[in-house]
Amino acid sequence: MKLNRRGFIGAGAAVAASLSAPMVMGAGKPRVVVIGGGAGGATAARYIANGSKGAIDVTLVEPSRTYYTCFFSNLYIGGFRDIQSLAHSYGGLATQGVNVVHDWAIGIDRDAKTVSLAGGATLPYDKLVLSPGIDFVDGAVSGWDVSAQNKMPHAYKAGSQTELLKAQIESMPEGGTFAMVAPPNPYRCPPGPYERVSMVAHLLKEKNPTAKIIVADPKPKFSKMALFQEGWATHYDGMIDWIGPEFGGGNVEVNADEMTVTIDGEVTKVDACNVIPAMKAGKICEMAGITEGNWAPVSGHTMESRIDPDIHVLGDATNQGDMPKSGFSANSQAKVAAMAIRGALTGSKVFPAKFSNTCWSLIDTNDGIKVGATYQATDEKIAKVDGFISQTGEGADLRKATYEESIGWYAGITSDMFG
Amino acid sequence: MSKPNSLVMPLVGAVGLVLGVTYGWTARDYRDGEFEALTAKVAQLQENSDLAEAQVDEIRTLGEEKTAEIAALQDKIAALEAELAAKPEVEVAAAAPETAPAPENAGGALIASNEAFGDAKKGAQVFKKCQACHQVGQGAEDRVGPHLNGIFGRRAGLHDGFRYSQDMAMMGNDGLTWTLETLNAYLENPKALVSRTRMNFAGLKDPQDRADILAYLRIFSDNPQNIPEAAPTATPEVVLSQAVLNIEGDPDYGEYLSSECTTCHQTDGGDDGIPSITSWPQEDFVIAMHAYKSKLRPHPVMQMMAGRLSDEEIAALAAYFEGLE
Repeated sequence: MKLNRRGFIGAGAAVAASLSAPMVMGAGKPRVVVIGGGAGGATAARYIANGSKGAIDVTLVEPSRTYYTCFFSNLYIGGFRDIQSLAHSYGGLATQGVNVVHDWAIGIDRDAKTVSLAGGATLPYDKLVLSPGIDFVDGAVSGWDVSAQNKMPHAYKAGSQTELLKAQIESMPEGGTFAMVAPPNPYRCPPGPYERVSMVAHLLKEKNPTAKIIVADPKPKFSKMALFQEGWATHYDGMIDWIGPEFGGGNVEVNADEMTVTIDGEVTKVDACNVIPAMKAGKICEMAGITEGNWAPVSGHTMESRIDPDIHVLGDATNQGDMPKSGFSANSQAKVAAMAIRGALTGSKVFPAKFSNTCWSLIDTNDGIKVGATYQATDEKIAKVDGFISQTGEGADLRKATYEESIGWYAGITSDMFG
Repeated sequence: MSKPNSLVMPLVGAVGLVLGVTYGWTARDYRDGEFEALTAKVAQLQENSDLAEAQVDEIRTLGEEKTAEIAALQDKIAALEAELAAKPEVEVAAAAPETAPAPENAGGALIASNEAFGDAKKGAQVFKKCQACHQVGQGAEDRVGPHLNGIFGRRAGLHDGFRYSQDMAMMGNDGLTWTLETLNAYLENPKALVSRTRMNFAGLKDPQDRADILAYLRIFSDNPQNIPEAAPTATPEVVLSQAVLNIEGDPDYGEYLSSECTTCHQTDGGDDGIPSITSWPQEDFVIAMHAYKSKLRPHPVMQMMAGRLSDEEIAALAAYFEGLE
């Protein structure tokens, strides 16, 4: 049997008539609205549209016309990618049958099952997918709020913030100081801050080798810690000062006007500062009333909200169990949600949920590392099954191959998201 | 005229004095420097001489050890020859053909003593299938394929000076090492272990042929006594039963499962950094996935992903990917 996805979309209209829609009463195709066009939302929209072969109306609501991937944005800071290589448009999704609406979702009426948009439109849905990513917890870093983000960028939503941070690092005076305020758990992309430290060090080593890096961290341990610390000692000896909580790394105050960072009472004048505050689910989850604490709890079997079964939540915004908050995880969860939604709306086959995640990080040129795991759904949570991590002391060939693998993955996941 | 002269002379004298003194100091400094350099050189030579003496001692000791080793080996050979003489039905292995002489003197004896492992003499015959590309034995060199001396324990794809396929190099980086088990799997179906290997060989389907050829190659290993004398696992896990190969995959299930693959493997066939898996013959796909599942193939992500797939799930994936265009 020869399968050809695009061919199926063409044939979709004819097939649709013969498919049953058990959950949806009345006339018309079932409607799915997806809010957020990142690794979770774009993937879900594409898989529902492609998989249902036109039997489901899919609308994606995403304010940005150009999406900059957060993953690999550290490589832009290090000089390994240009910003355009991180940019993706939604044209591919539109041609695959997704109705792409560039607008802000500003309200969800769960009883009426509608989404209202800043532009004034109201979108009805049978199933709603929320994949809004993260927002920052107010007052998480003393002295910092979003009004300070131009002086002390977070660069934790990729795009102009990332460009700003890189420009500030590049204009540091000779021998100047770069500071990072690292976030507490849980947060988007566990190895992200430390890959960023590596990339900043790489950039400074080339342009400003006497510059210093200070990292104030509230966590005693972080993702791939041994691998990063080995890499920092090998490539950037003496440049990076990581201050954990036992040395006051959790007791931090910043002053964006004075450009100072105060760690455990000691004031340091800095030349560039990256503040990554504590995180929470994207605001729309809170507005929909589906959060408990900072995150939206979901069932691992379907990614359904535990508060509203007609809303599926994906990616960083969720509280699901053992999976890290990553683009890979969001993409993996989107496929489970897409299958569950298609099953509920059109009666297509539903298989047991499987999840996986791998995070690659770059320490220096051709020195790539990775960590990954597989997961399954239990009634309680998404539970880890098996995992692996790169080893310290690995050979240069393997590290180079790991980096090259990450480039392949980037091509793979972005075409999986955007078509 | 005399007045200026009376002034000039003391001036010349003074300048001369200054110059003289300066020269004296400089010369003294120079000679001191030279003396220090010479002292250092003498110390260095002394050190070199000590080192050389130590080396001579070391070599002498080594020589004595080697002589003892040679004597021990000769005794062993004599004992084995006596043993062989007592069994006239076992032909003393002149097994290795002229094209690939056994290394040193112990080869024949080793072959004969290791029949449990496979028959090296028969292996030498089977190896003729390989000789167009591979050399083994004294003076063996890389040809179309790499030479096979010391193949056991060698890291795949990393033998210096040979240009391997991208896939073989990748397997080596991932940690594939040639052992009885991996060589057996590779000989059985090269592409099942290393998908796009340059070794254009269908494989030895007869397990006895593989056992024999491995016994033969073992002779040319650096430490044959370290290689277990058991026959290669009778049914290595990568050799799948016909029942497993015959499982009819459900392409719908395969399509869902494939969504885990397409996060990394590009469906358009692109293969930068991560190989393409579209349009892969079903059976090759199934065998390769089982090779990861049984950890014969080394990549940690793939071992993990394949590790939790059932036989039916692997079949479903294969059915789906073969159908993709």
